[in-house]
Amino acid sequence: MGYMLDDLLLQVQKPARYSGGELNSVVKDPSAVDVRFAFCFPDLYEVGMSHLGMKILYSQFNERSDIWCERVFAPDRDMEALMREKDIRLFGLESRDPIDGFDFIGFTLQYEMCYTTVLNMLDLAGVPLRAADRDERYPLVVAGGPCACNPEPLADFVDIFFLGEGEEVDLELIDLYKACRKEGYNKADFLKRAAQIEGVYVPSLYDVTYEEDGRVRAITPHEGVPATVKKRIIADLDACYYPDKFVVPFTEIVHDRFMSEIFRGCIRGCRFCQAGFIYRPVREKSVDTIDRQSRALCESTGYEEFSLSSLSTSDYTKLDELLTRLLAWAEDKKTNISLPSLRVDGFSEELANRLNVLRRSGLTFAPEAGTQRLRDAINKNLTEDEILDTARKAFSGGWSAVKLYFMMGLPTETDEDIVGIAQLGQRVVNAFYQNPDKPKGKGVTVSVSASCFVPKPFTPFQWEPQDTIEQLKEKQQLLSQSVTTKKISLSWHDAKTSFLEAVLARGDRRLGEVLEKAYRRGCNLDAWSEHFHFDVWMEVMAECGLDPAFYANRRRDYDEIFPWDHLDYGVNKAFLIRENKLAHESVTTPNCREKCAGCGASCWKGGVCVEKR
Amino acid sequence: MKNVRIVFSKTGRARYMSHLDLVRTMTRAVRRADIPLWYTEGFNRHPYITFAAPLSLGFESLYETMDLRLEEDMPFDVLVQRMNDAFPEGLRALSADEVKMKAGALFSAKYRLSLSATVAEVETFLEQPSIIMQKRTKKGGMKDVDIRPCLQEVSCESTDSGCDVTVTLPCNSTDTINPQMIHQALGMFLARELPPMRVLRLALYGENGQLFV
Repeated sequence: MGYMLDDLLLQVQKPARYSGGELNSVVKDPSAVDVRFAFCFPDLYEVGMSHLGMKILYSQFNERSDIWCERVFAPDRDMEALMREKDIRLFGLESRDPIDGFDFIGFTLQYEMCYTTVLNMLDLAGVPLRAADRDERYPLVVAGGPCACNPEPLADFVDIFFLGEGEEVDLELIDLYKACRKEGYNKADFLKRAAQIEGVYVPSLYDVTYEEDGRVRAITPHEGVPATVKKRIIADLDACYYPDKFVVPFTEIVHDRFMSEIFRGCIRGCRFCQAGFIYRPVREKSVDTIDRQSRALCESTGYEEFSLSSLSTSDYTKLDELLTRLLAWAEDKKTNISLPSLRVDGFSEELANRLNVLRRSGLTFAPEAGTQRLRDAINKNLTEDEILDTARKAFSGGWSAVKLYFMMGLPTETDEDIVGIAQLGQRVVNAFYQNPDKPKGKGVTVSVSASCFVPKPFTPFQWEPQDTIEQLKEKQQLLSQSVTTKKISLSWHDAKTSFLEAVLARGDRRLGEVLEKAYRRGCNLDAWSEHFHFDVWMEVMAECGLDPAFYANRRRDYDEIFPWDHLDYGVNKAFLIRENKLAHESVTTPNCREKCAGCGASCWKGGVCVEKR
Repeated sequence: MKNVRIVFSKTGRARYMSHLDLVRTMTRAVRRADIPLWYTEGFNRHPYITFAAPLSLGFESLYETMDLRLEEDMPFDVLVQRMNDAFPEGLRALSADEVKMKAGALFSAKYRLSLSATVAEVETFLEQPSIIMQKRTKKGGMKDVDIRPCLQEVSCESTDSGCDVTVTLPCNSTDTINPQMIHQALGMFLARELPPMRVLRLALYGENGQLFV
């Protein structure tokens, strides 16, 4: 196969995506390992290689001498066509062996629009799509990541889902698998035993029945498995595994740097944000740990830049101390530190200058909503004064570009809120011109980007209807008309993509048939607009007798049983209902450090839940 | 502060690195190797690394050169050792020395092309008095060039899958011929689609045929 593959690689775009052999990639002797794991990212190499979770688990699995974990990404269209033509099955980048001979095929599910790519990769690997059609001869198909919090649309295809953080549970499952192998492996028996591990969800062991109108009637466990599956977390991040090496790609990827994770979870509780709820509670790494891990990665990768990774960098409690420690050696090594998800206002001027925080990305804000009332409703605690103050500071410092991120279609939103987006943009423009020490000879650019709100499971907005495509388009028009200056450049997300995302995010198992049919008709890499075929999706939904509006645009009652109700992310429904009601009253909730809101995540007794306040 | 020329090979999986990939990979490798690199001054500081002759994506090479500027002296053998410790699979530092010939002195490159054609076919192909091919000009247009005069030192050897052609081609400021052009010309001459060839660059030379060092 080696030679054949090499011939193919000379005929495709960016072959370094398929060649393997990158620095720090792990090659083992297949005869010396017990378990071979294909870690699949259902998107292109340049996207998947930028993902931190995959790097952590790849290294952690490979630390074990009995496991060989390899990376697998979705091939681009040109490569896929050649693979199908020459009958080359999907292979692990390290060994180039076809992955249908592996023990596990594992997917990380980062966004709903990757689901057809999961199916395509299974098909390219030559394994049957449906779990029920895969017997002991085939690898086990497992999946984790944020979308595993409602994995029901994929329930027919995946044998096992991991809920929560994988560092512990993945290895527990692999150990059980090894033990079962020794005893004479039987898949059904293995799945039953696996379902007893906390954080392991085996969808085939739960039956779902539906009401006539399509709502879930009941979710029934059988074979003695737990009625609810609880997610796993690592309570102490300082004791948690973190790689000292990252694979360094040859070809340019989306985030071409190494990442140091500084905390998990988020204290903010913005009501639209799924990550803010499913990763609770907030747990920080100590300055010492981050410093040590960053140094090791700097030396082993040679990257010119690294970023501090978290949901909201400014919320790290000792950020100044951390940055001072990191800069002490990073400046010497001519290594830049980039700080995503940052509130620039909380910075000393000296630190800001040393970090060049503004140099790279310019100034970015995510007010999310155009009026204070709506920002209160979504619990986004950012005021207009804060935005304008920081913008003024930046303008005085010589910057003249600001990016503002908003969402449209948020619950309780009115036309006033949409017009408010344009007005806020205008006020930032005015702030520039009213500034006495503004940069000379330059105009200001304010980029306003508006995405469409998608209601997600395990958020206070999980009961809310999404605006219809027509409503979203009207709002886009209204926004467009409300902008009266050329200093503001407007852009927005495609409402059709967001609509499908909303269907899948709160979908049930009946969507499995839709996924398979859509995939069979060529849907793949749907997150890439050039590959997205909305009409095909709508046709297929109709054929399956399902109404997308039922999933996307319907308001749910508080007592409705959700397809994901048997999955427990610690955040309980009573809390989410309280938050939903507060949203409709435009009342904010203090963040976790100010005051505990009693969400339920304290059951893990970790992080912010046990910190002194 | 002085410039050092490192000779390295780029083979195996490393051939899928484009030139830009190689620049990135080398920059990171020298950083890992803890070599006292000189960095440019200014807003966007970066190390000074240059390559005499970019290699096309997909080609392998036994003789590539890279010039580094060091902030302080370092024994050449240590430099080679450190680079090799830092290199990924497929890259190998062979030697390091002072820069003797300027980048502009590079004149030609020797290649071995593994073609899916017989020795006889290639010989007939070379019997043509002229081989006119279209070449893209710097201004974006196309012009006709005769590549036959450039194919002077050619030798053919039969292999299992066809033949290996060893040829020295110009790569200087006035004239450059990419081996791909020969592959294309041969395919047109034989009136069939040739499968992709394997290319191995063997050496780089100055104007009088001396090794580029």
